[in-house]
Amino acid sequence: MLISVFVVAISMALFWMAAFTLWWQMHAWRTPETLASTRFDRPEGGTELSFSLLLPARHEQAVLEHTIERLLESSHSNFEIIVIVGHDDPETAAVAERAAARDPVRVRVVTDTHETKNKPKALNTALPHCRGDVVGVFDAEDQVHPELLTHVDHAFTSTGADVVQGGVQLINFHSSWYSLRNCLEYFFYFRSRLHLHAEKGFIPLGGNTVFVRTAVLREADGWDPECLAEDCDLGVRLSSVGKKVVVAYDSDMVTREETPGTLMSLLKQRTRWNQGFLQVYRKKDWRQLPTRGQRMLARYTLMSPFMQAFTGVIIPVNVGIALFLDVPAGIAVVTFLPLITALVTFVFEVVGLHDFGVAYGLRVRFVHYVKLILGGPFYQLMLAGAAVRAVWREKTGRNEWELTSHVGAHLTDLTETREDARR
Amino acid sequence: MTTTLPPVPETTGTAGDAGPGGTLRIPAQRTTSPDTGAAAWVRPVVRFRSSRPDLLICAALLCLIMVVQGWNIAHFPALSDDEGTYLAQAWAVQQGEGLAHYTYWYDHPPLGWIQIAFLTWIPSLIAPETMTVATMRLAMLVVSAASAVLLYVLARRLWLPRWAAALAMLMFGLSPLSVVLQREIFLDNIAVMWMLLAFCLAASPSRHLWHHFAAGLAGAVSVLTKETMLLVLPALLVTMWRHSHRDTRKFAVTGAITACALIGLCYPLYALLNNELLSGPGHVSLMDGITYQLGRPGSGFILEAGTGSNEVLRSWLYYDTVLPIGGLAGAALLLATLRWSVTARALAGPSLVVLILAVVALRPSGYLPAMYVVQALPFLALVLAGGAASVAHAVLRRPVGRAAAPRAERRVRGALAGVLALAALAFVVPHWYEGNRDALTADANAPYRAAAAWMGTRVEDPAATRVLVDDALWLDLVHDGFTPGTGVIWFYKADLDPAVTRTLPGGWRDIDYVVSSPTVRRDAVDLPNVKAALDNSEAVAVFGRGDDRIEIRRVGGEGGTQ
Repeated sequence: MLISVFVVAISMALFWMAAFTLWWQMHAWRTPETLASTRFDRPEGGTELSFSLLLPARHEQAVLEHTIERLLESSHSNFEIIVIVGHDDPETAAVAERAAARDPVRVRVVTDTHETKNKPKALNTALPHCRGDVVGVFDAEDQVHPELLTHVDHAFTSTGADVVQGGVQLINFHSSWYSLRNCLEYFFYFRSRLHLHAEKGFIPLGGNTVFVRTAVLREADGWDPECLAEDCDLGVRLSSVGKKVVVAYDSDMVTREETPGTLMSLLKQRTRWNQGFLQVYRKKDWRQLPTRGQRMLARYTLMSPFMQAFTGVIIPVNVGIALFLDVPAGIAVVTFLPLITALVTFVFEVVGLHDFGVAYGLRVRFVHYVKLILGGPFYQLMLAGAAVRAVWREKTGRNEWELTSHVGAHLTDLTETREDARR
Repeated sequence: MTTTLPPVPETTGTAGDAGPGGTLRIPAQRTTSPDTGAAAWVRPVVRFRSSRPDLLICAALLCLIMVVQGWNIAHFPALSDDEGTYLAQAWAVQQGEGLAHYTYWYDHPPLGWIQIAFLTWIPSLIAPETMTVATMRLAMLVVSAASAVLLYVLARRLWLPRWAAALAMLMFGLSPLSVVLQREIFLDNIAVMWMLLAFCLAASPSRHLWHHFAAGLAGAVSVLTKETMLLVLPALLVTMWRHSHRDTRKFAVTGAITACALIGLCYPLYALLNNELLSGPGHVSLMDGITYQLGRPGSGFILEAGTGSNEVLRSWLYYDTVLPIGGLAGAALLLATLRWSVTARALAGPSLVVLILAVVALRPSGYLPAMYVVQALPFLALVLAGGAASVAHAVLRRPVGRAAAPRAERRVRGALAGVLALAALAFVVPHWYEGNRDALTADANAPYRAAAAWMGTRVEDPAATRVLVDDALWLDLVHDGFTPGTGVIWFYKADLDPAVTRTLPGGWRDIDYVVSSPTVRRDAVDLPNVKAALDNSEAVAVFGRGDDRIEIRRVGGEGGTQ
């Protein structure tokens, strides 16, 4: 009897969690109208705003030049690029200074002299130097579409938004089994779920291709230098005081990125995000949200990396209990509910992968679908691992910016820093 | 026709307007745009719940249909064996005895009578003795009402004009064939309700992903209620395909198929969990059930006089020719004009249902059950109304590009339409009046009631008496105190169910009474125990006369109770 009650309770909780996740994941495809509304509007008329694009770069001399060149190709007429380099990083600084010398009007260099360095501190350093109406953030290796700024400009002026979040997409789905799932995660997140958050008025922002009105950003005192997920934190703080956030996703205008190079660095990156989410949760800014529904959404969203990770692990255990312990048939059926939801999620992921391939003109082969399905449980294990690791680090008080101490130590750590700082 | 996407006001982003006041503004679902251009076809949207005229029409028609279907429901048509079977199994579900009081042998998926059990649950709690076929036919009124409303909604969602939707609902509800069949406790009626719901969801005006998903669920429930609904699923898919948008179709259709498959697979999963999926010695199995249903002896070609199938067809046409023949003609008209007619394209799904069911009925040597037509009825009504709408449109429409037709021409067109409508009315009304008058006044079940009353009052020790009855009377006797299963016995179980024959070591000698109804006499030919009991018994009471009479026969000699 007791075990039946226990199994039913767990099953129902799992079912609702899986169902909510599925509901949100599929938000953009709910109706054709919803899907149409997730895209950038076609800009009409001239450009009205000026942009200050922040480009924090750390040991990125190899890619920085290309990124700056590409940003300068932008069709928008009024923007400046502020490259932020560290005082201990002469190679990157040299590349940045060279670019600034070539185009002194549009490219400037700001040096961050903080003893321990991280991305929010770098961004805060540059904030007083911004002269544009809007501050945009990119990473040093981002490939930015030349039309993006014009579209973002139009998004600001036509909707009166305070924040515009553009799409970010990992592209290299063929690299490994986990990069396939990682790409698809981004696809569902930026293509679909983020729009729901914007609609509901609570949104954890992404780490780049994010644009904020300069006045709004200054009023909010910039980024939180101590937070491991400063981007999420900024979104939570801005939406909690009622700032309007607009999300737009166009497959030809997303910022393209690549997945972390190794499974371990993905795990570390995910640990950092999860820990960051925990920190944002504990900062309690979300409590200022006006409606109970929004507060519930905030609570659930900030906790969901953990819940989602554990659902993946507990669902099979739960079904196992139902099958091998002697429970009544009715109870056994209830334990199948989360499994059914998981199966539906799988199917939608397969369709999503197809849609991803079509949207980006990528050839998705049969083997990729197989990898997607087979990799699912293992990816869930990785997520669960990252969740456990994050909780453990937070409990033991290791909430410093984990990688700052490694910066400049050796090459693998460099790549890791870059990937971790990005988002 | 679903290719034009009306622009959304805020295409730049999903407007998340959590202003200081905390009000959330959700972008408007749909607006008609000034700049779609003349060529663009703006998809009309039918919102049933907020449309007062639709609600009023639907409510008025529903009242009429309920009166005609409900009046005299217990007395006509004659109680059928199948009704008794399903209701008795629903009773077993209510009693917590599993899926049937005899061994469940996968003859049909059990969802149908589980739903009947739910429908009749509260009345049977209040007054257990009302759990008999004649009384519980009232529960079918709920199903009929839901189906009728769903049909109206579906017709509107397929862009039929109000009058045509009303016509479809009226024909579906008032055809004498519908009245007779929908009054009976048939699984098909419940399955039809679910399938209509699935079609309504598939034709959802908002083209919502989860509506399509739910359409898949409803379709699966329909199939698990009555397995013959499998035939209709392709047409459901066609409807969904046509009503989904190019950009979201991939997700909508896959989601619906997944939902349908997952729910549908629960049935084999249930069998598997019970170790009854594959046939084997000493137990029933899903495989055996399917083999039995597919291997039922054919009833001949439907159009060949003298065959069983032809008998069934003629019994349908006896009640009504308008709906079956007119519906087929309507489907043929719509399918033939698919290229030119907007209505025909909108009704492609229902037309396909009619086509599939007609083709399957025409296979030369299959088994054609009497209730086969039930699943076709709403679709026949829909395509017939659609055909009428097409004809009316052809007669009355103003040629494109001409401001106004000359007055004379308009008069001729109007007069033609009037004549056609009057002719149709003149043909249909007298026929249906005749048919429904029987349904509203005839008493076909007096012998059954008398037999039940006799058994209830004249047998002295019901608990120790063993009776063979047909399924329709079984519950009456259970309420009279006979022992369910081995005391009051579904007559054919005395020969076919090992669990029952074991309790009858003396064969017919262990039986006290046989309530001999037409069904019992018809089937006794192949059932030795029943036949012997009939042969070795004498009639102690006879109700009704001719072939429809019901005799109560006491089996002679030993084992008697008196």
